Amino acid sequence: MRATERNNVTVTGASDGTPLVFVHGFGCDQTMWRQVLPAFADRHRLIVYDLTGMGKSDLSAYVPNRYADLGAHAEDLLEILDELQLGEAVLIGHSIGATIALLAANRAPHLVSRLVMVSPTPSFLEDAAQGYAGGFSRADLEGLVGFLDENHLGWSAQMAPTIAGQPAGSEATEELTQSFCRTDPAIARHFGHVTFFADRRADFESAARPSLILHCDDDALVPMPVADWMREKVPGATLRVISATGHCPHMTVPDIVSAETRDYLGSG
Amino acid sequence: MAELAQPRHLDVAAELIEDAPCGIAVTDPDGRLQYINATLSNWLALNARPERPRRRLSELLTLPGRMYYETHMAPMMRLQGYVREISCALEVEGGPPLPVMLSGVARRDAGGSFTRFDYTIFDARERRVYEEELRHAQREADELAAIVRSSPNAILRVDAAGRVRRWNAGATRLFGLDAEAALGRQVDKVIPFEDRPDWFTASVAPGCDGPEILFEAVHGCGRAFEVTLAPIGERGLPGEEDWSVILRDVSRRYAAEQHLRVMVDEMKHRVKNTLGVVSGIARQSLGRDEAAQFVSRLQALSQAHDALTATDGTGAELHDLLDFARREAGGAARLHINGPPVRLGARQATSLSMALHELVTNALKYGALSRAEGHVQVDLDIEDDGRLRLLWREHGGPPVVPPTRRGFGTKMIGLVLKAELGAEVSFDFDPSGFCFQVIFMPG
Repeated sequence: MRATERNNVTVTGASDGTPLVFVHGFGCDQTMWRQVLPAFADRHRLIVYDLTGMGKSDLSAYVPNRYADLGAHAEDLLEILDELQLGEAVLIGHSIGATIALLAANRAPHLVSRLVMVSPTPSFLEDAAQGYAGGFSRADLEGLVGFLDENHLGWSAQMAPTIAGQPAGSEATEELTQSFCRTDPAIARHFGHVTFFADRRADFESAARPSLILHCDDDALVPMPVADWMREKVPGATLRVISATGHCPHMTVPDIVSAETRDYLGSG
Repeated sequence: MAELAQPRHLDVAAELIEDAPCGIAVTDPDGRLQYINATLSNWLALNARPERPRRRLSELLTLPGRMYYETHMAPMMRLQGYVREISCALEVEGGPPLPVMLSGVARRDAGGSFTRFDYTIFDARERRVYEEELRHAQREADELAAIVRSSPNAILRVDAAGRVRRWNAGATRLFGLDAEAALGRQVDKVIPFEDRPDWFTASVAPGCDGPEILFEAVHGCGRAFEVTLAPIGERGLPGEEDWSVILRDVSRRYAAEQHLRVMVDEMKHRVKNTLGVVSGIARQSLGRDEAAQFVSRLQALSQAHDALTATDGTGAELHDLLDFARREAGGAARLHINGPPVRLGARQATSLSMALHELVTNALKYGALSRAEGHVQVDLDIEDDGRLRLLWREHGGPPVVPPTRRGFGTKMIGLVLKAELGAEVSFDFDPSGFCFQVIFMPG
C-alpha cells in the first residue's frame, strides 16, 4: 500500500506553494489542524495526514513491535514526503507529532527546510539526575496508561452517531462524530505508552534543522522549565511563549498559532 | 407545571441544579471553572481545604484524567462539541479518588463561538467494579483467543455428534480449508485419516471415555498427526458435551522415526553378516579345533546380539540368554534354571552371554555335562539391595580338579564380568561339583 493511502493523506492549498506538512499528536487525528489550515491555503501547499494507527489510517499497518519506536512514525512521514515529491517542506508538528517531525528532519535534512513545533516536549519524564523537570514521574505516566485502558469500554459510545444534548446536528457534526479521535483502544494504549515514555532529548539536542517552538504559558502537560531547556539545548530553535491555556493552542487559539507560524516562515 | 408561579419554578430549578444527584460543573472554553454545584463540591470535599482553590476542570481529576483531558477531552469538546461517558476519577480532598463518568457539552453563541462547556459527573463506583471484572474477563478471553489463533496446531471445537463448531487459523493452514468451509461438517470427513474412517465417533464412544484421548494417525494427504481429544465439559451433560480437538503435525518426527527404524534394521543385518564373514575367515585361517572354538564363541556373541535386537538394542532378558546356553548344553534336562525374570542392559547381556557360553563349553568338556548323568543348576536371586546373584552349580560330573593353568575361558569370565558388570565373581572348585557365582546390579 502506498504511504499516502496508508496515512490518509489530504493535500489542499496552492499547488505551487511551499509545502507545509502537518503532523498531529497523541489523542486525535488530522482534523486537529482544521482551524489553522485556512490561514495558509493561499500561499502554501498543505498536507495533513493521520499517523499510522490513528484516525482513518490503515489500522492494520500498526504493527506494535515496529511502532514501539517513534522512529517508525518518522519513517512513515519520510515515505509520504518521498511519494509526494515535495522537494523541501516545512514540517509542523503538535506535541508528540513535533517529535516525529524532528526525527524525520534529523534523518533526512535535505527534505526539510524548517520545523514548527507546537507544544513539543522532548520527554515527559522527570530526570532529577540530569536536572530535567519533564513534569511527570514514572508512576504518574503508568497511571495514564492504565487510564487509557479504562476508557476502552467507553470507546464505542464516543463513536455513537447521534448524541442527546447536541446542538442541532449539521452534516459536519455528523461526519466528525463518526471519525473524530477514532482510535482502536489497543492502539491508543500502545501509542499512549510510546508517547509518554519517549525520551528524545538527545534527538532534540542534535536537531538538524532550525525550528520555531510555540509553548503555552499555561500548559498542563509541558511545564515552563521544559521550554527553557529546549531554548538552551535545541540548535537553531526560536522559542515563542504564547499566552494560552492547555496543550492544544492550534485548537484554542488557532489565530495566534497561525500568525506566529506565518511570521516565522516569512522571516526567511 | 404550567400552574406553578414563575418564581417558584425558578427555585425548583436552582435547587435541582445545586442538589442534583450528579455533579455539575461549568467552565469557560479554556477549561477554567465557573461553577460547581453543591453535590460535586461535597464529593470533592472542597471545604476541607479552602486554601487550595481549584481553578480548572482538569484540576478536579486525578493525574491520568488531567492528561486525558488535555490530549482528548479538550480537543473533542472543540471539534465535536461534546464528550460522553469518560471514565475518570475525582481527586477528593483527604480521601481516596472517586470513580466517575463524565459527560460534557459545548455551548456556542449565535456567531458560533464557544461560550461555555457544561459537564455532568456521575458517581461510578459500582459501575467501575463491574467494568473492572468485565475487562479482566475480556482480557483473559482475548489472551486465550490469541493463543488459539496464533497456534501452529489445528485447534477445533467439535460437538458431541462430531460436527465442527470452531476452526482456528492453524487448522486452515494445515488442512487448506478455511473455517467457513469446515464449520458444521463432520470432523472425520473434513480431516480423514488412513485406516481410521470414523476416528472421532470411535474415540469418543462411551467406554473409550477418559480425561484425554491421544493417538497418532496418518492423514489422507500423507502427513502424520498427533491428535488429542478432550471433553470441554462446560455444559455438564454427559454425552452432549463438546470436544476440543488438537491436531499437531508430527510428520517430520514420524519420518525421522521411520528412517531410524530402517537404519536400525540395516545395522542388525550388517552385524550378523559381519559375524558370519568373521566365522568364515576363522575357519579358513585357523586349525580345525581352534576355529570351532572361536566360531562357537562368535555364535554366542551373535545370540546375545539377537536377544538385544528383540528390544531395539536397549537390553535383553536374562532368561533369553539362558535359553541359548541351555540349547548349547543339550536341553532342559541338562541345564535347570530357577529364578525371576531379570532385565539386563546391553553391555551386561553381551558379556554375560559370553560368560555363559564359556561355562557351558567347559562343563561339556571337563565338567558335569561331560557325563550323561550330569547336569547344571542355575539359580537366580534378587538380593535386598537389588543386585542379582547368579549361581552356577554342576552336579554329577567327574571329580573336580582345580585347573593349573587358567584358560582363556576362565580368564574371560573373571576379567570381563568384573570390568563390564562391576560384578563380584567367585569360583569354587569343590570336588563334588564346580561352582560359579556372579553378583551384580542388573539394568
